[in-house]
Amino acid sequence: MTSTEVYLENTVLGPKAGGLYRHQNFGTGLISGIVFGFIGWLIGQELLQGSNWGSDMTVTVTCVGWVIGFLLGMGAFNAVGRWILGRDEDHEDQLYGAGVGQGWKRYFKFCTDHKVVGIQYLVLVMTLFGAGGAMAMMIRTQLLSPHMNWLSPQSYNALVSVHGMVMIIATIIMVSGPFANFIMPIMIGAKDMAFPRLNALSFWVVVAAVPPILGSFFVGGVDSGWTTYAPLSVQSFPGQDMFAVTICTFVISVTVAGINTLVTVITMRAKGMTMGRLPIFVWGSIIAGGLGLYAMPAFLMAQSALITDRVVGTSMYAPAQGGAGWLYENCFWIMGHPEVYVILLPAAGALVEIASTFARKPVFSYKAMVGAMMAIAGLGIMVWAHHMFTTGWAPTLANPFMLTTELISIPTGVLFLCLVGTIWRGNIWARLPMYFLYLFLWNFIIGGVTGIYLSDVPADQYFHGNMFVTAHFHFTLLGGAMVGAAGAVCYWFPKVSGRMLNERVGKWAFWLIAIGIQVTYYGQFLEGFQGMPRRVVNYNPLFQPANIMSSVGAYTLMTGWLILLYAIVHSWRNGVKAGPNPWHAKSLEWQTETPVPLENFLVDPVVTRDPYGYGEEATDTSQLTPEPVGAGSVSLGNEEGVL
Amino acid sequence: MSSENIEIDEFHEGKREEVAKQVEPFFKGGPIWKRPFFGVFIIWSFMTLIGVLIGLFVPVHVLNGSSSSQQDSVKLTIVVFTVIAAPVSAVVYGIAAYSLIKWNKRGSGKSDTPPEDGVALRGHGPATVIWLSISVVLVVILLFWGMMVLSSEQTPQGDAIRMQVVGQQWVWTFQYGSTKITSTQLVLPVDRQVVFEVSSKDVTHGFWPVQLGVQVDANPGFSTTIAASPNKLGKFDVRCSQLCGLEHAYMQTTGRVVTEKQFEHWLAQKGASPKAIKLFTTDAK
Repeated sequence: MTSTEVYLENTVLGPKAGGLYRHQNFGTGLISGIVFGFIGWLIGQELLQGSNWGSDMTVTVTCVGWVIGFLLGMGAFNAVGRWILGRDEDHEDQLYGAGVGQGWKRYFKFCTDHKVVGIQYLVLVMTLFGAGGAMAMMIRTQLLSPHMNWLSPQSYNALVSVHGMVMIIATIIMVSGPFANFIMPIMIGAKDMAFPRLNALSFWVVVAAVPPILGSFFVGGVDSGWTTYAPLSVQSFPGQDMFAVTICTFVISVTVAGINTLVTVITMRAKGMTMGRLPIFVWGSIIAGGLGLYAMPAFLMAQSALITDRVVGTSMYAPAQGGAGWLYENCFWIMGHPEVYVILLPAAGALVEIASTFARKPVFSYKAMVGAMMAIAGLGIMVWAHHMFTTGWAPTLANPFMLTTELISIPTGVLFLCLVGTIWRGNIWARLPMYFLYLFLWNFIIGGVTGIYLSDVPADQYFHGNMFVTAHFHFTLLGGAMVGAAGAVCYWFPKVSGRMLNERVGKWAFWLIAIGIQVTYYGQFLEGFQGMPRRVVNYNPLFQPANIMSSVGAYTLMTGWLILLYAIVHSWRNGVKAGPNPWHAKSLEWQTETPVPLENFLVDPVVTRDPYGYGEEATDTSQLTPEPVGAGSVSLGNEEGVL
Repeated sequence: MSSENIEIDEFHEGKREEVAKQVEPFFKGGPIWKRPFFGVFIIWSFMTLIGVLIGLFVPVHVLNGSSSSQQDSVKLTIVVFTVIAAPVSAVVYGIAAYSLIKWNKRGSGKSDTPPEDGVALRGHGPATVIWLSISVVLVVILLFWGMMVLSSEQTPQGDAIRMQVVGQQWVWTFQYGSTKITSTQLVLPVDRQVVFEVSSKDVTHGFWPVQLGVQVDANPGFSTTIAASPNKLGKFDVRCSQLCGLEHAYMQTTGRVVTEKQFEHWLAQKGASPKAIKLFTTDAK
């Protein structure tokens, strides 16, 4: 029986008529969110006496109302509600929750199927990149000329701040959202994530979190950068409250998703899938998930204290009343540095999969790679103060933090060793994902080398707060992690969409992206060397050539991403149908059917070896290939209705 | 571990020697230009050369001019770090590029079937150890370089001038200690260490006298210090490096490094009494 037939059979079960459960979707979420937001506005204005629409109290309560209302309207807490009323979900409810028989509509519902959540995340990530990218284009246009008066300083600062935070949110979820949800459970042979409802919650919480930060433009914007250092952020416009509500909400999502990933991998692995056989991507996901659990609460604390400072007049960050801006800066960077590894590690994991598949070779030094990822995570939590070398905070700690920061280059070097070692002597299959792997290697070396100047305290005294830093972290986050994510999209596209990506268009996109990154950020390195500060709306004419270079590169880059988007959308609708395993890869996600059936495998897989046995099984096939899965015909839901 | 696992692990053990034999030696075999080592070496040399050239060119010709020993050491640091990093990064480029040139199957990019499996090389102990050792050595060099420069540039000297810098939205005010002279332009005597005591009246600013190559935040409520040693006469820029609100981009002024005599003259012009000037410039000694 094919998966389509399984689907059809389950459609007959169908959604039961009646019940709140079956009438909730994105639309009701929006309506309920707006209604609750309005109620919040009334409460803020009338009961809590926020003097007018623009007051911090009113804005905050309105946004909190929106978030709660949206999630209630989506049906996020239905199951919990039922438990409180003493009822459990029955089998049909669970099937309905997993989106069975609802076609495209399930993508607009609180759907517990991890594959649906993965695709939802993918669309959300691309939307966020679109929004953040548009802001970046506006920023680069303003910087074309030192005399440009296109944007006011206020709107420029708001764009810089929101561009930064929207992109950070997007990059945190860009791999661990779509692929750690869609692919990772299949990779370990699980039927779904350990907590499917929390999985759906983690997605819809991000959706709830996004409108406030974008809405901040309408109440003055945020003028304190994505870092929102206090005390400036305490004095900033009411847009700052919306920013803070977004962060607090987003942190909930990362926390929930992190726990879910960890528990899934620890408890739901298929028979024979020992920890030593986990694909590197799974390692990357769980280490990033654990690191997120450590990092994000600090940001939650920092931003909630910012809200209380602004709304109810506490003095966490007010020096005159015993607070300190350094408190905020520390909390922020205790999140801020581990967070870049939360972004990087899943992308690096995906690139290792790509390297192995397209060089047709086993991963080079698997254990060293896993150890390196753990070391990066472990050291990553001990380096935060290198962002504060020039703040004057604890000068005695300059040397220790310089040490930990430079130590990270050792495990990062192992990551490179693992990647190039895997490519070495492989028979390279030059498909699109491999292109992105090479681009990653090129960019991440540059990002890494420029990082060592910044890790050096005396050199940082020149480069801190200047465009050099901007170029450096864009090289690592965009040139490194986001290029890795693009590779992951191209690699898993056939499994996710069931079709092959149009690589002819994709390669156009690739070259534009590759060149765009170099031109844009070499330009910004030059600005930095010449001494241009970050986040300035106008600048000294001295910096103009470098700025023009950077803006031209940015337009190229944007064109590249748009073409890649076109390739994705077009191929999703019209691409050549892909078989279950177009890359002839050996990890479990390629052994099951495409499209992937509801519980991923029709027969529970049994794993007998790690997924990297290229060039090894020729001698004894029977012993080494994983047992065929997806060939049997076992109907779904046969295990007492457990989904 | 189940018995099944052990079997497979034993199988791998048995295979390892076979695999090792299949791997062409890195250094040996055939004429020298056909050995993998040679190809990697060529690419490595080329990339190293480019890196070193960038390292020698950029700090001298692109980086802002220098007016202090701190900025001189920033320049030197960039040169040294680039020259150290270039050969190491070039190893990655060398291996990656050589693999692509040598083992890329022509036309494979358009093929729907993968090339044959490569050699089942699951790791290489010596290579990993060498790689790790080089990283460790480099980190030690970088760290000691940083510590050395930091301590030599920031050690307070006996004759240092101590002055106050106050940031507020969006101007810098410079106050010359006991002379009570204030100015919005930063004038400094040459060849004399200056210790800036930096604070702010409102939000956090970043005090950045660009060509002096030092930087410290101006925080409200307390003061932070940073030392600079101007060693060249001439103008320099002072900018704000920490986003501080609407006019952050315009929070800049200029500074001048002048001779000791001109400095005293300037203070006198500003209205400081000769006694106060003397006290200010010699008190530190």
